[in-house]
Amino acid sequence: MKKVGKPVFFVVFVLILLLTLTAFLGVSTTFGDIPTTWIKGAQDIRWGIDVRGGVDATFSPPDGYDATDEEMAAAEQIIKVRMVSQNITDYEIYTDYDKDRIIVRFPWKEDETDFNPEDAIAELGATARLTFREGYETDASGLPSGVTADTIILEGKDVEEAAPAMTNTNEIVVSLKLTSEGAEKFAEATTRLSSQSPKGIISIWMDDVMISYPRVNDAILNGEASISGGFDAAGAKELADKINAGALPFALQTTNFSTISPTLGVGARDAMVLAGFIAFIAICVLMIILYRLPGIVACIALMGQAAGTIAAITGYLPSISSFTLTLPGIAGIILSIGVGVDANVITYERIREELRLGRGIDAAIDAGYKRAFTAIFDGNITVVFVAVILMGAFGPPASIFAMMLKPVFGIFGSSTTGAIYSFGYTLLVGIILNFLMGVTASRLMLKSLSKFKPLRKAWLYGGEKK
Amino acid sequence: MIDFVGKRKIFFIISIALVAVTLLGSLFLGLNLDIQYKGGTMLTYSYTGDINKDDFLSKVQEVVGGSAAIQESSDLATGSTNLVVSLASTSGLSADKQVELTDALSQTFAANNIHTESISNVNASIGREFFLKSLVAVLFAAIVMVVYIGFRFKRISGWSAGVMAVIALVHDIIAVVAVFVFFRLSVDANFMAVVLTILGYSINDTIVIYDRIRENRRIYGQKLPVGELVNKSINQSMKRAIVTTVTTVMALVVIAVVTLIFNVTPIVTFVFPLIIGLLSGTYSSVCLVPCMWVMWQEYRAKKAQQTDAKKK
Repeated sequence: MKKVGKPVFFVVFVLILLLTLTAFLGVSTTFGDIPTTWIKGAQDIRWGIDVRGGVDATFSPPDGYDATDEEMAAAEQIIKVRMVSQNITDYEIYTDYDKDRIIVRFPWKEDETDFNPEDAIAELGATARLTFREGYETDASGLPSGVTADTIILEGKDVEEAAPAMTNTNEIVVSLKLTSEGAEKFAEATTRLSSQSPKGIISIWMDDVMISYPRVNDAILNGEASISGGFDAAGAKELADKINAGALPFALQTTNFSTISPTLGVGARDAMVLAGFIAFIAICVLMIILYRLPGIVACIALMGQAAGTIAAITGYLPSISSFTLTLPGIAGIILSIGVGVDANVITYERIREELRLGRGIDAAIDAGYKRAFTAIFDGNITVVFVAVILMGAFGPPASIFAMMLKPVFGIFGSSTTGAIYSFGYTLLVGIILNFLMGVTASRLMLKSLSKFKPLRKAWLYGGEKK
Repeated sequence: MIDFVGKRKIFFIISIALVAVTLLGSLFLGLNLDIQYKGGTMLTYSYTGDINKDDFLSKVQEVVGGSAAIQESSDLATGSTNLVVSLASTSGLSADKQVELTDALSQTFAANNIHTESISNVNASIGREFFLKSLVAVLFAAIVMVVYIGFRFKRISGWSAGVMAVIALVHDIIAVVAVFVFFRLSVDANFMAVVLTILGYSINDTIVIYDRIRENRRIYGQKLPVGELVNKSINQSMKRAIVTTVTTVMALVVIAVVTLIFNVTPIVTFVFPLIIGLLSGTYSSVCLVPCMWVMWQEYRAKKAQQTDAKKK
């Protein structure tokens, strides 16, 4: 490390303070009636269902049925549509194509009172009812009404297959293949609707949710139709999956689900925040008593580390989605703060040793950080290994670490515990921040402070009092 | 300067006793394995007024068609009493059956205002798979650590150092298991989290000591006897070990006390084993690992001497 000037301390301190304030409190403005979140604060943390209560269920086809990947994708779409129709938007869903399992997790909504989780789970897995109906008349709550309610043109069993396809004109469409019975019914309806002026519409429904409402341009007599409408590849696949869901030959089953009532809820969260705050103050007091000036620097660095971890969990910016924080995730934060404290302790003990050997303040600080670094580095890297292995073993199947560690954990199905994934994540983030705060920022601050004349006393750094 | 290496017999006896007592304890008392791992169904219902537990149980058995057990538990947070039903079958209840059961219960005991507080329903095969996966994760982490320490600490014969560090990890995990066995805590995801935290903490502790041994070896060369080298290193880094442990344990105690005041039990049952594990981690890193490593080095040196003697 070369020269560190006097202003460096203030720059680093203000940056950490800003990070801390924004990461904990968040920044939002209300313009008119529309609140806009600029930076997400601690209140935006998405708590895992082990903290705030919720549902965790694993769905699979009936025993002995080996579902194809297309069927699993269709089944996933059924669950997604139903989640949204039950007004649950804050859910996680993972499909494990090797083991034919769909894992769904969703927390209680705030102020949820009369939600019945058992019914919700049973409903999620039930066979989907797909219908093609005439027109798209709906009542106030979005249910089919009038002619749309009365005239069902096709049902799920009439559809043989739906798939995304590309036309000669390079337009992405969803192509439909109907059974012979379905083709007959469809020919009759499309002949009638395409002769209307304006041309009629056929709406497609899953359960009570309308998923598409294409206009009938021509009579389709051979049972092979295509739905166009400016799809991109993903959109076309999604609609095809949803239509296939109606033809799914099985209902999803679950013998693996848990619900936790939100009794722990808000009170527990406040208690945890308070506990964390008091624990942090206690650590600071101890650090300052033991290490004096470096102790104060340690507190600022630890504050930065804690704030950085919170920011990494909430996503900080509104465009970055937040990470779910579970009880083991909190353990990960505690461990990384502990390791952060340790990095500071190792360094300051070293500085003290050097001072007692008779070195000057500048030389002692330099030597202290230099000697301590190998221990901090090796210790932290091994903890990073643990974090990465856990994220690989218990993370979503498509994540980088899971791909990397597939040779080790490939024989197991995707895990149902996002809880431990959360531990790995907070630990990894905490350790990276420890290098940034506990090592780099703390060194910058201490070296800069040591340039001030009133602070050039060995006693302030743990040396003997002269 | 404290002579750690000279007291190694005491450390070995303490640790062997701990391991032996824990093994015996888990043999006789058994591990309280949560259904998260072994599979099964546990349903918690809240109710108001008086309820006949036997009637409740027989209704459950009638609907489920299998044997079940019932237990009362009081919810500290709300002050109400809950009924906890555990089913004997470990294959997990289907969602439809579950709805049927709750409907039947709320009809039969309409006056008691039955409400489902929590359901924990795990298919045995998924539970077993999760448990195995956790074990493989821990094993794999251990192997990676031995390899890393082997490379980074070549100067102090890294492979043996790595193996000793992992033995200490096993020791600390056993200390955590001891807490779960003797306090009858349920072995669930919390247990996994505690074990993993201790894993990280203990390895970090051990490495700090190794780092000091490595540095002293560089400063003093091969002339200094292993025992003295290690004693010197432990004494130099002991203050750091104490300060870090005291700070971390203090923070954990604060968290335990505050959450206890607010009756958040899941946190307490999590923090308490963590504290014990941390203490064990510090103890094993300071007292156990260096002494084991010294013993191994002395054994190797003796063996080398013997083969030298034979050659002559």
